[in-house]
Amino acid sequence: MTEQKEIKITSENTSFRKELMQRKGAERIMYCYQCGICSADCPVAKRVKEFRPRRIARLAVLGQKDRLLNSDTLWLCAGCYTCYERCPEKVRVSEIISALRGAAVEEGIIHPTYKTLMNSIAEKGYIYEIDEFENEMRGDEGLPEAPSPAQDEIDEILKKTGFIERVGGAHR
Amino acid sequence: MKYAFFVGCTTLARLWPYESSTRKVAEHLDIELMDMPGSSCCGTTYLEALDHITGLAIAARNICIAEEMGTDIVTICNGCTEVLTKANRELKHDEELKAKVNEILAETGKEYKGTVEVKHFVRMLKEDYGIEKLSEKITKPLNGFTVGAHYGCHILKPSDVMGFDDPEAPTALDELIDATGAKSVYYPNKLECCTGPIMGIREAVTWSVGLEKVNIVKEYAEAMITCCPFCYLTYERCQLMQETPPGVPIIHIPQLLGLAMGLNYDELGLGNNGIDPSIVKQYIDSTQTIGDGSQ
Repeated sequence: MTEQKEIKITSENTSFRKELMQRKGAERIMYCYQCGICSADCPVAKRVKEFRPRRIARLAVLGQKDRLLNSDTLWLCAGCYTCYERCPEKVRVSEIISALRGAAVEEGIIHPTYKTLMNSIAEKGYIYEIDEFENEMRGDEGLPEAPSPAQDEIDEILKKTGFIERVGGAHR
Repeated sequence: MKYAFFVGCTTLARLWPYESSTRKVAEHLDIELMDMPGSSCCGTTYLEALDHITGLAIAARNICIAEEMGTDIVTICNGCTEVLTKANRELKHDEELKAKVNEILAETGKEYKGTVEVKHFVRMLKEDYGIEKLSEKITKPLNGFTVGAHYGCHILKPSDVMGFDDPEAPTALDELIDATGAKSVYYPNKLECCTGPIMGIREAVTWSVGLEKVNIVKEYAEAMITCCPFCYLTYERCQLMQETPPGVPIIHIPQLLGLAMGLNYDELGLGNNGIDPSIVKQYIDSTQTIGDGSQ
């Protein structure tokens, strides 16, 4: 997303923008006047030159679906909410990014790291293995066993929402 | 005082000293932290964006467990705090959403009612227990020990959801630190995120963010105090990966509180912290015997 490209706005772009604005968090994208406080205060933008929250906001206004959803930068936001707190127009790029991630998942796009995390919740109820070994170590520290997640209940929830299947997870 | 104790994956699986020191400090203050049978991952801060309704349902199922127990929830991870607070708030204020989530939960035999609150341990101490009452429990003040407080993000933000402290100039953690006799010093860039959430996406960024802060803290204080397992791990690991680690001890807030209440150094798990925090020993009242299991 770093190189300059001429952007021609098509009806596809405007319809993606409309669709995006229906999503939670992206309602106010049209209020962005590109002041750039989001980029200036972003801890990731400070270190990653291709990650520019202001650019994401602009591309969202221009309905650039492919450039937004198929870019690695979509997964670089750490969710610190600094831009959320400081945006003078409550556009809140962190929320636009969340909305874009939701749109990406519906298109079958998800970062592999997130996919692994989500599958772990589906399979183990936790994002890590918490098994006999961990419980033994916990015991040595004088801690009780970790709660055993009611996996049947989590299964029911995920079956009902269909989320894990949508992100290409394992069927249970 | 009684709470349902939502520990969270990262602490459960890896940061036993954080959990055990929290439990010991709570016990010392007569705060009962009750385990939550059947509880799982909160859903993570990512899930809600990937699939809103699934995120709400996973969070709500955990909240339901506390509702059945009839108590508010205490958390010790900033991420869990945000996820559960956000879900709780959304569901309390949106009947339609609540009905939708309850329809999903119906299969599990649970029903979200909206009867409990979610509070981070730091928030609970500040709002429910009170700093003044806490100060009365400080018997071994750590006078002279200088530390840099790191709040992390999700205990404060998004501020319109969390409704706690000032996101641009918070004081709660500093107040807890100052109550122990230690001095919470100012340092530049104090509120910057640890970027732990992108550790699995662009690791090098997280380590660079971590090191930068640790090196700043080193100029101003003797240790860093955290209240979130992700922040803790970031600042500890980024140092351990260096050939010559900067050597800034990262200490969990309940460990610091415990020491000042006269609890034992080893009992608080300080011996297991990745960057040796034994520098604090010189500030522990000399009348206390260290390391023999006594309090």
